[in-house]
Amino acid sequence: MEIRPILAALLRNKTGAILVAVQVAISMAILANALHIVNVRQAVAARPSGIADEHNVFFVNIDSIGKGGPEQHLAEQKRFIDVLSSISGVQGVAQVGQIPMTNNGSTNSVAVDRKQTNETANAAFYTTPGNLLKTWGLKLVAGRDFQPGDFKDIDSDTTKDFTDVVIVTKALADKMFPGQDAIGKTMFFGTGEEAIQSRIVGVVERLQTQNAQVGDRGEYSTIVPIRFTNLGWANFTVHAEPGQLDRVMKDAEQALRKASATPIITEFKTIDETRKERYRADMAMAWMLVTVSVLLLLITASGIVGMASLWVTQRRKQIGVRRALGARKVDILRYFITENFMITSMGVVAGVLGAVGLNQFLVAQLEMARLPLGYLVAGSFIFWLLGVFAVYGPAWRAASISPALATRTA
Amino acid sequence: MMFAYYFKLGVRSLRRNPALTALMILTLAIGVAASVSTLTILHVMSGDPIPHKSDRLFVPLVDNGPIKGYTPGDKPDDDQASYRDALAVLKAPVGERRVVMYGIGPSIESPRKDLGAFSVSGIAASKDFFGMFETPFLYGQGWGDAEDKAGADVIVLARKLAEKLYGNANPVGQHLRVMGYDYQVVGVLDTWKPLPRYYHIIGGGGSFGGNDEVFLPFSSAIRHETGHSGSMNCTARGEPGYQGLLNGECTWIQPWIETRTAAERSDVVAWLDNYAAEQRKLGRLKRNAPNRVYNVPEWLEFRKVVGNDNKLSAWLAFGFLLLCLVNTIGLLLAKFSVRAPEVGIRRALGASRREIFSQFLIETGVVGLAGGLLGLVLALGALALMALQSNRISAVAHMDWVMLLFTFVMSVLAAMVAGLLPTWRACQVTPALQLKSQ
Repeated sequence: MEIRPILAALLRNKTGAILVAVQVAISMAILANALHIVNVRQAVAARPSGIADEHNVFFVNIDSIGKGGPEQHLAEQKRFIDVLSSISGVQGVAQVGQIPMTNNGSTNSVAVDRKQTNETANAAFYTTPGNLLKTWGLKLVAGRDFQPGDFKDIDSDTTKDFTDVVIVTKALADKMFPGQDAIGKTMFFGTGEEAIQSRIVGVVERLQTQNAQVGDRGEYSTIVPIRFTNLGWANFTVHAEPGQLDRVMKDAEQALRKASATPIITEFKTIDETRKERYRADMAMAWMLVTVSVLLLLITASGIVGMASLWVTQRRKQIGVRRALGARKVDILRYFITENFMITSMGVVAGVLGAVGLNQFLVAQLEMARLPLGYLVAGSFIFWLLGVFAVYGPAWRAASISPALATRTA
Repeated sequence: MMFAYYFKLGVRSLRRNPALTALMILTLAIGVAASVSTLTILHVMSGDPIPHKSDRLFVPLVDNGPIKGYTPGDKPDDDQASYRDALAVLKAPVGERRVVMYGIGPSIESPRKDLGAFSVSGIAASKDFFGMFETPFLYGQGWGDAEDKAGADVIVLARKLAEKLYGNANPVGQHLRVMGYDYQVVGVLDTWKPLPRYYHIIGGGGSFGGNDEVFLPFSSAIRHETGHSGSMNCTARGEPGYQGLLNGECTWIQPWIETRTAAERSDVVAWLDNYAAEQRKLGRLKRNAPNRVYNVPEWLEFRKVVGNDNKLSAWLAFGFLLLCLVNTIGLLLAKFSVRAPEVGIRRALGASRREIFSQFLIETGVVGLAGGLLGLVLALGALALMALQSNRISAVAHMDWVMLLFTFVMSVLAAMVAGLLPTWRACQVTPALQLKSQ
């Protein structure tokens, strides 16, 4: 294949070639980064929360209760659990202090040694008077669930009493006691002399924090067997049987209102909705980037088609002469495809540099992640392929030019 | 200059090659639409919500974190104040107005039996809240010094909540059960939605999604031991109970100081430093960390109200517009190069190079105008689509006159810049070569 004539022709006609190469470069720089960000966001939004059967779990927050003091509050909370458990279609009920992915709840500093000045980690604080692991399907990878003797009802307005035992997530156990078995070890809530110690009795595979942050920070959680009797509100979570979620929620609302003497405020939400809201921004960005990527490819393709068509029109006589001198259709086709490949390659090289440069900017200014090499390779292939497909139409038209054109003057 | 004639020529030439023209206008329109819609959102999000006051409204903060585990230079644990420090701001001898506030989520039992009880989100604030943030009143007014001192159970409602509870009647003087206590309505705020919600960024739905529906006195909320709805940061284990919370170093309150002029910022800084020094003598503020004072723009920047994702979108849109520009240059080049014979004839008939240049530049301007029109329609569509996604975005996805004009100007300018090279090429055509048979 004669490269030199093609190169010579290109050098004489630099402007058009440069324009196409620049378009390919800009597209590729943006596309490589865009696809990378889409993947990262998708991965973040797909992380499991720890709740095994998310589609069939919901929670309800009941407010404005316990006006008569801690004993009444405790009695009401117990009654609500009974009410919820008695609804048909319910597989499990638990009272719990907060829910993952809701951005609502509290965390504590945790440490492994009372002499520490810095925390080991900041962990979410899930409180429950029982049945939480079963209701949410949390998998125990070591140790045991809570036993009846572990649970405490605490009025934190009058006492500093706390739990003796705690269940932690595997991520937190690995952070606090790397490489060791965490069961039986002592951990501290808080740091320093006033820190409260607790014994780890169980490790669950996964339970995200209420904020579900990106990275390990979103996986540090503690579960304690405490029910507070002085908060004035309570959260309950229910695992319904498949297909019964909506009906169970409706029945639950009616039953709860009937069970309380004073007007209560209830807020129901499914875990599916919670997940959607937590990752709404990430998914929106991902969709926007996908749309932009498709548009980028379309516009670049249209640019290639436009420029190639122009060249075919400008060189009609030349092509006719070549055909008259003996060139076959496939030779003309190959000429244009090779020419386009050279231009696209220039664009791809510039695009790789552009993608890396753009990524540096994003990492420095907007706290994004580094671009893996795979995206540059993939991007190059995508644009080479795009070039070939885009130029095929005009190239075929060129190949169909009749040799008789060589003898005409116009 | 034959502007009108060239304009007509431009329009006519658009029709000559409809496919190419359509492609050009579409490409330009998409690029413009992408840029304008993301810029609109950025524009609203980063707008100054209270321009005539934003440089003399300050958030004064001390760092009351524990010294254990602290290295000088570490970021503070929270951007709010403890009860003790908040009260100190309230009593400070600086500024025209001082406000302390925290978010609450009280339950409301409506006089209307059919509504039952429901929760709302609101703010417990001292009396100067309304004057400082210039809230418009529909009925009644805020409360005064006496109510603040007594912790009186008075309440101001937002317009939507008042209409929900009382319809169109003036509810001032009516009684309402809030958090189980009897409150008297003293005022109703007219529709008030500053964007971003700069006075209540932390918690409660954030700077764009949240809605404050009730306002009651800070001292009344404290008197009833009302919990916070928002964020609280506690680094030391305090005494149990509400009184323990008030005595302790948990931070959960937002303080504000308004001065008469921007220059009085130094007075606020001086007072804060003085106060911190006094507190250190009493054994508090062991970290000895620098105190912070933010005015409104600094506060918005510090709290990252315009998030990274929005900036990413804006940069992406510009990159996209750049691509569309280069693409348009290519298409215009193609379009103009087939017109070489026409240029040759015009030049032979006496047109100067400059006149050819103006003719073709105006033609690109026409393309720009058409692209701008289509781009505007696409941008409005894109904004509407984005608004569907979330409350946050729908609050800011509105185009104002500035952005509208900007769309057209950007489109025409972009087309003309793209057209410079092809137009210059077009003028270089030598008439003699074109007049010969090809």
